[in-house]
Parts: sequence; structure tokens; C-alpha cells
Amino acid sequence: MAKHDKDATFVGDSRISAKRIPNIAPSYSDFPGKSEPFWPNFLLKEWMVAAVCLVGFLILTVSHPSPLTDKANPNDTSFVPLPDWYFLFLYQLLKYPWASGDWVVLGTIIIPAVAFGAMVLAPWLDKGKERRAKKRPVATGLMLVSLVGIFYLTWAADHEHSLHHSSNQAGGGAVASGDPNFKPDEIWTKQTSCMGCHGNNMEGMVGPNLQKIGSKYSAEEIEGIIKNGKPPGMPAGLIKDEAEIKKLAEYMAGLK
Amino acid sequence: MIQKMYDWVDERLNVTPMWRDLADHEVPEHVNPAHHFSAFVYCFGGLTFFITVIQILSGMFLTMYYVPDIVNAYESVKYLQNEVAFGVIVRGMHHWGASLVIVMMFLHTLRVFFTGSYKKPRELNWVVGMLIFFVMLGLGFTGYLLPWDNTAYFATKVGLEIANSVPLIGPYIKTLLTGGDIVGAQTLSRFFAIHVFFLPGALLGLLAGHFIMIRAQGISGPL
Amino acid sequence: MSEKREISRRTFLNYALMGTGGFLAAGMITPMIRFAVDPLLKASAGGDKVAVGSVDEFGPEPKRVEFKVHTKDGWYESDSVLSAWVTKNDKGEILALSPICKHLGCTVNWNDNPDYPNEYYCPCHGGRYNINGQQYIGTPPTKPLDEYETEVKDGKLYLGKIKPNPRPGVSE
Repeated sequence: MAKHDKDATFVGDSRISAKRIPNIAPSYSDFPGKSEPFWPNFLLKEWMVAAVCLVGFLILTVSHPSPLTDKANPNDTSFVPLPDWYFLFLYQLLKYPWASGDWVVLGTIIIPAVAFGAMVLAPWLDKGKERRAKKRPVATGLMLVSLVGIFYLTWAADHEHSLHHSSNQAGGGAVASGDPNFKPDEIWTKQTSCMGCHGNNMEGMVGPNLQKIGSKYSAEEIEGIIKNGKPPGMPAGLIKDEAEIKKLAEYMAGLK
Repeated sequence: MIQKMYDWVDERLNVTPMWRDLADHEVPEHVNPAHHFSAFVYCFGGLTFFITVIQILSGMFLTMYYVPDIVNAYESVKYLQNEVAFGVIVRGMHHWGASLVIVMMFLHTLRVFFTGSYKKPRELNWVVGMLIFFVMLGLGFTGYLLPWDNTAYFATKVGLEIANSVPLIGPYIKTLLTGGDIVGAQTLSRFFAIHVFFLPGALLGLLAGHFIMIRAQGISGPL
Repeated sequence: MSEKREISRRTFLNYALMGTGGFLAAGMITPMIRFAVDPLLKASAGGDKVAVGSVDEFGPEPKRVEFKVHTKDGWYESDSVLSAWVTKNDKGEILALSPICKHLGCTVNWNDNPDYPNEYYCPCHGGRYNINGQQYIGTPPTKPLDEYETEVKDGKLYLGKIKPNPRPGVSE
């Protein structure tokens, strides 16, 4: 701005040039081909995209209130911790035996450092002039492999968590509603494999409460569940004796 | 009237050249979705910035009610979400926006990567962009603790344990972030300070650098 | 001709841009502004009136009562103890005065200074009020003692919110 020009005149004793530049937009013919000025042509398109996104975003915020679980309680051992979704792939990585225990350095430092380091240094690792993705097979290939890895790890972490979490919830809900005065029949108290999860009095522990199971399932359905299991938590084939299963299912279907 | 005011300012500060430079720079055809629909991939950078603006604004407003203290943090979040008008929306904007900004930034990074736009002469801008990515992840990590609910508490605990497992410096990093021996009162106020002052400050500086470099170099040419 | 068309197109685009920008700004800011000004628009809690005793207990001589108020300040709820000087004149009108001195917020007492009998006296700077809470002109306070909203129901006196005392100051 303040060039040492002999003829330059300034506003007062400042370094602002006294010569005014007219505030006029150039004619569209100044832009070659299909180029266009940023203001207002292109910005308008960009803002219209932003407006569409904003509407969608506001609908999301209204329809899905942000979650808020119970107040932090360090003694709550039943809570399965889970980081925010975009950290899940790192979190999942540390669950694998080759990236934990003695190898934890691999999971916490080496793999992330190599991956993120390679990203930061990409311009120096991939110095070729070619810009098209297809003409840079190594860079493109590595990126695609990492993308698949990230997506897989994120999915795996979420999948494992949902398995844990749903059984957790069933257990939590059942304990609260268990009737302490409920006394199950002898046919139940013989089934130690059932009692391990559903409790001595069918009040529910890891597995759900069964004290009123007859209002939910018929005898045939209960038979099927005992034989074939029920995801996520109920294993198949814990009772081998067919007659025993039938007797138990009939008893349970009568609990309403 | 407005013209007179503009002229008055312009005479003293010569703002016209700056403004014309911003308004009149040309946008080439290959990034304009009106000409090639596939050019919408060039929108992700702008959308990232747009959501960042939402994040900054909603964050500013949330601090009107939020208290970074283990006794009151949860209560204040619950209060602002359930009892203050539009609290659901403002907290929702900040909560979902945090996820959305990561998604947009991820897509923007992929666009830059697959169009090879990080190559000479734009290496520095790529590095600044990567730093922005890390700052955003840091904002996500520190912000996650602030509502002080179970999700927040245990996720942070796990995160800090991961930091702890780093050889040699791990325990120091952990103590530095926790501010004490346990995840508690001191951790929360530390995370609040990092989330609200340190990282946003860094973010604004990096964003300014990112934009100045884009204006200086122009957008990368067509493939 | 073509020059003219270009200008009008640019103007149109400018207006469209302002419109879109306005929509964006409004969409973002409106919920946040409403969020921020909520305390202004929230109907004040009204404050349930608290019973302090039977009306018969009070006479022309000021009597001090203490009562508990439940305050809800955002997410912070607490019980605070307030006190009042209550008088009932011959017509049965009840006046409940706040003991907070209007000068600097000390607590006034009835008739506890032998020099100033039958007055509210503030020990901090010697502020003085008569039985109706009117300040004596020339003593530090410039306003009369605040009074509580009162209500008599089923022979019981209920005190509500504090409101300013409309009575003017008096000279000795």
C-alpha cells in the first residue's frame, strides 16, 4: 500500500493512499468462459446449499434431542463406556490382541502415528506431478485400504457394543421389576443353567425377568427359545432332555 | 446515506481493494455445481466452515447456562436442555454439529486427497488442514466430557487410560489432562478451558491461515 | 442495452444473496437468541405466599417473624430464611416490612436503641425509620423500608414477594 512513489499522496499523515479506487464490480465479460465472480454468483449457490443443509440440520436437532444419560457415577460398574463415534475405530483397534497387552504400543502409538504421519506428510510422500486418483495407484490404494479399515473398525466397535448393551438393558430393567415374593415351581429350581442368568426366582439378572413370561410368549414359542436360543444373550441347547423342555415351557407359559 | 458512510470509512481505511478482491475473484467452472453436478464435492470445505460457525455460536450461547463443575455441570445441562426454551435445539445444534463437522471435514479431506490438490504448491495448506483436523478431534474429545453424565465420564476415563498406556510420556500426558489423580473436578475444569479457550483459539488461527492460503494460491485447477 | 441487463441481473443476484444469507443467519440465530432471552420471557415464578402465623398475634407494636422460602434459581434450589416486622393498625391493615436497610443493606431493629425509641434503627450508619418504614429525612437512607405482599386467609397471615414501599420520607 505505502509504496515509495514520488507522486504518492496520502490521507493526512497516514499511509492510506489518497487515490480512491472506484467500488465497481467488473463486468461479467471480464470472466473467461464459464468462470464467474465469487460475489454474488457463486456465493449464492453455496449459501443455497448451506440453507438446505441448515434446514435438514434443524430438523435433526428438533427430532432427536441430544442424549443425556445419568449423572456421572464412578461406582456404576454396569455402564459400558463408549467414546464418541469418530474415535471408535481407534478404540476398537486396542481390543485386538496384537494391539493390546504387550503390543499396546503398536495400537496406541505406532499404527496411529504411521497413519496420521503419512496423512500429514502426504505431499512429500506422493511427489509426482500426476493429480488424478487413477494415475496414483499407491496413494489411492493405501487411502482406500485405510478407509475400509476405518469403516470396518467403527462398525465392529458399534456392533460389539450393541450386543453388550442390549443384554445390559434387559438385565437392568428386570431387576427393578422383579417380584421378591415370587416363588417358582420345582421344575424351574432344577434348571441351574437357567438360574445362572435369570435368577433363582426368575427375577432376572443378566437375562431378563421371566416371572410373567407367559403373557409374552406361548408354550411353543418358549420351547423354541430354549432350544434355539435368542440373540443377543440367550444361548441355544442348554437343556438336552426334550420332555424336560416341554414341561418347563408349559409351566412358564402359565405364568401371567 | 449508506454510500456516504462507506465513502467516509473508505477514505480513511481504503477498504475497497480488500472488499473487491474478496468479491471479484473468479470461481472456475470445474468447481461450480451449476455446470458439473459432480462439482458438489467442492462444497464440503465451505460446509465444514458453515457448521464450524454454528458450533462457535451455539457454544457461546450454551456457556450462558453451563457451569464447569462436577456438582453443577450435569444439573445445568439438564436444566438448559429441559427447562430453557429452545434449549433442546441449541444443545442439539452443538451436539449433532460436532458429529457433522467431523463428517464434513472427513469428506473435504477425501476430496482434496483424491483430486491430488495437496501437491505442489499447496503442501503447506494441506498440513494446516491436517492440524485443523486434529484440533477438531481434540474439541470433540474435550467437549464430550462436559455434560458430566455417565457416557461422558466413562468415555473420558477410557480415553485417558489409552493416553496413559503410551510409553515413557504416557503417565505425564494423563496427569496433565486429568489435573489430578482421578477424573474429577480438576479434569472437568481443565477440559472446559481447553475446549472453550485453547482449542478454539488455535482453530481460528489455523482457519485464517487456511483461507489466506486459498485466496493467495487460488483453487486447484481441473483434473 | 446488454450493459443494462447485466446490472439488473447482478442486482437481482445480490438481493437473492441477501435473502439466502438472511435466512441462514435467522435459522442459526433465532433459536439461540430465544434461548438466551428466556429469563426475560419466563413468567416469574410468582412465589407462593408463606404462612407466618395467625393474624391475632399481631398488634400495633411491630413483631418480628421469620419464615422459610424455597428459592429455585435455575438448577440450584435452596431454602432461605427471611424475616419481617409485622404491624397491624387500628383499622386491621397489616404492614409487613423487610428489615433490610435501604441505605447499604444492614438489618434494622425495632426500638433497640434507647436514643431513638419506637423507631426502626439501623446500627451501621444510624439510619432511622418510623413505624410505617418511612425514613427520617436527614438520616442516611433515601427510601422507605420495603414491604412484603400480604394476604389474610382463614385467619392466617401469608407473606409474599417484596415490593417497594410507596410511602414518602418524613422529617422529624
